[in-house]
Amino acid sequence: MERLRRTMMFVPGNNPAMIKDAGIYGADSIMFDLEDSVSLTEKDTARMLVFEALQNVDYGNSELVVRINGLDTEMGKADIYAMVKAGVEVIRLPKTETPDDVVETEKVIAEAEKFFGIENGRTHMMAAIESAEGVLNAPAIAKASDRLIGIALGAEDYVTMMKTHRYPDGAELSFARNMILHGARAAGIAAFDTVYSDVDNTEGFNHEVEIIHELGFDGKSVINPRQIPLVNAIYAPSDKEIRNAKDVLNAIEEAHKKGSGVISLRGKMVDKPVVARAQRTMALAKASNLVDEDGNIYAK
Amino acid sequence: MDTTTLNLQDPYYYQQWKGLIQSEGLFIESLDDITETLGIYEGDQLIATGSYYENVLKYLAIAPDFQGGNTFNKLVSTLINELATQNIFHIFVFTKPQYQQSFKYLGFKVVAQTEYSTLLETGDYSIDQYIASLPKVSGQNISAIVMNANPFTLGHRYLIEQASKVSDYVYVFVVSQDASLFKTSERMELIKAGIKDLTNVKVVNGGQYMVSFVTFPAYFIKSRADVATYQTKLDAEVFKRIANGLHINKRFVGSEPYSPTTEIYNQSMESVLPPEVDLEILDRKAIGSDIISATKVRQAIEKEDLTTVQKYVPETTFTFIKNNLQTLLRRINDGN
Amino acid sequence: MEIKHTALAGTLESSDIQFTLSKGTGVEINLDSQVEKQFGNQIRKVITDLLKDYDITDVNVRAVDKGALDCTIKARLIAAIQRATDTQNQPNWEVLG
Repeated sequence: MERLRRTMMFVPGNNPAMIKDAGIYGADSIMFDLEDSVSLTEKDTARMLVFEALQNVDYGNSELVVRINGLDTEMGKADIYAMVKAGVEVIRLPKTETPDDVVETEKVIAEAEKFFGIENGRTHMMAAIESAEGVLNAPAIAKASDRLIGIALGAEDYVTMMKTHRYPDGAELSFARNMILHGARAAGIAAFDTVYSDVDNTEGFNHEVEIIHELGFDGKSVINPRQIPLVNAIYAPSDKEIRNAKDVLNAIEEAHKKGSGVISLRGKMVDKPVVARAQRTMALAKASNLVDEDGNIYAK
Repeated sequence: MDTTTLNLQDPYYYQQWKGLIQSEGLFIESLDDITETLGIYEGDQLIATGSYYENVLKYLAIAPDFQGGNTFNKLVSTLINELATQNIFHIFVFTKPQYQQSFKYLGFKVVAQTEYSTLLETGDYSIDQYIASLPKVSGQNISAIVMNANPFTLGHRYLIEQASKVSDYVYVFVVSQDASLFKTSERMELIKAGIKDLTNVKVVNGGQYMVSFVTFPAYFIKSRADVATYQTKLDAEVFKRIANGLHINKRFVGSEPYSPTTEIYNQSMESVLPPEVDLEILDRKAIGSDIISATKVRQAIEKEDLTTVQKYVPETTFTFIKNNLQTLLRRINDGN
Repeated sequence: MEIKHTALAGTLESSDIQFTLSKGTGVEINLDSQVEKQFGNQIRKVITDLLKDYDITDVNVRAVDKGALDCTIKARLIAAIQRATDTQNQPNWEVLG
């Protein structure tokens, strides 16, 4: 089953204190950044800091992602080699414009895996889309490599390029969000929403998370650990959703017992997307501590 | 928290900077003595700032709410990293005595201190390394003279001669100052050439530690009347540290009857140097009533008056000036 | 490997360590740490081991520690070595193994 990616926490790659503590907040994914949060003069030191941390610090069950500098910079290749060697799960490409960007990066990743004698394909990728061209190419980008686990919207550069700003209602992002979401779903990979930088504005943040939750995003990028429980609360399923999911999962079990290939619930056929949603709902319920191991809702 | 370069030429940033500097009780001396200024912002508020001039940190100020925390470390660290990108690793800071400990926590070492101030340093060089790099001599009477010798005159020669007569060894520290008409290397060579016959004299470069005390930043000295005392006392303490390392027990200085600054300097040395180091003030050499000085030599060079130059300097210095007159005139012109 | 010029890496912020490497004769380590008593020897060991891995025999190491983890110490020292040997974007993968 696909893993939960409600929150992807950004951690500046040149900050040892934040890197050291990144595992304690329960983010589903941790994204160490070698790109925009690191000044040009500290690219080399950040690379080694993340390289060592990935191999030595315990980050529990969090998925580990590193945003590298693009291959059009002199840092890009060394970033990829170092992160592949450190065993990172996902390499995130910044500023992806075309499927070729993904293909080019994949080549270097494959080259690095070969160089270090690492199994081909072990390093996954995700692509951040931060421009008009990238948004228009989102469906093709999402299908550009089997290594891709998701695509993400990076809105800061995007809104600037679109000659606008971020607004509370999110209208300025609605096209980009829908493109990215459709691209991701058509390719069967995850869709991540952008960051919300005003960390003190809980109300504004919650509103934005509700929008992307309703749209169907897998999760949101967060820049402060305080934002993690807020996202998780909104992504927590309702009791009704959990009960419904449990019914579906029981029906599957029943069908298996009977040796029947057809799953039905209350007289209706259960389709594949419904099964997937039930599994995801149950996973969310467990991650939110709402149910026990068997999927029974805890008494409140 | 965001760190950024502050453009003090921009009135908006200058006002923010000035506000923080003055609220922390610092005195703005001159913007010419600042190479670059960094600021740390929390939102739109400037919460910390620090500057440097060459390899000296200056004008460090932190807003009250952010003192005592990581902000100070971040500020100093950012300045050090910025200097490192310019290949400057040996860094000084002049500060109030109460901030000494904060800098020591960041790896700075005290070079010298007075009741007014502390001079600290960090990086890939130290005063101990400087002392270790100097030639060592032994004897009962080791003396020292600090001079700029811009250029070396018969007056300097006379001072060294007097010291040489009564000492086992004499160290001549040449003040390292790029602003001088004669380059440090030229000044050193002219001294060496002019005292070849005095075998107990060691001419050494004063390096980073024998500079003109008037260049010591004084932005943190509240009482402006105390500035000269602070500068000269600290200078005397630095000298004493080096003197101790080389077993120097006497310092000779030339008298400067009409200079109030020199008067303060001599008082400071009298209060700082003894008992370990005695201070002896020698009268300047004069031709009749005409006291020999490097200033007069430089004025004569500017007028291309070689006859006057020749009157004040030894043959070795004269030959150099004669052979390099055009270069020197060009330097004088470029300086104007 | 030879130190070509002085280089600095790391910061003085909490959980970090700042290294300044410069040319020297033999290995000389000058460590400032508030946890010197408990961890001084451990920190020195991390430094000497890594210098050995890089075959650096002549260097002055100045380290100002602000409570860095071992892996941070390694990362900062590697970065300083790369800077002092002009190899920032050509990491030595054999040593990093």
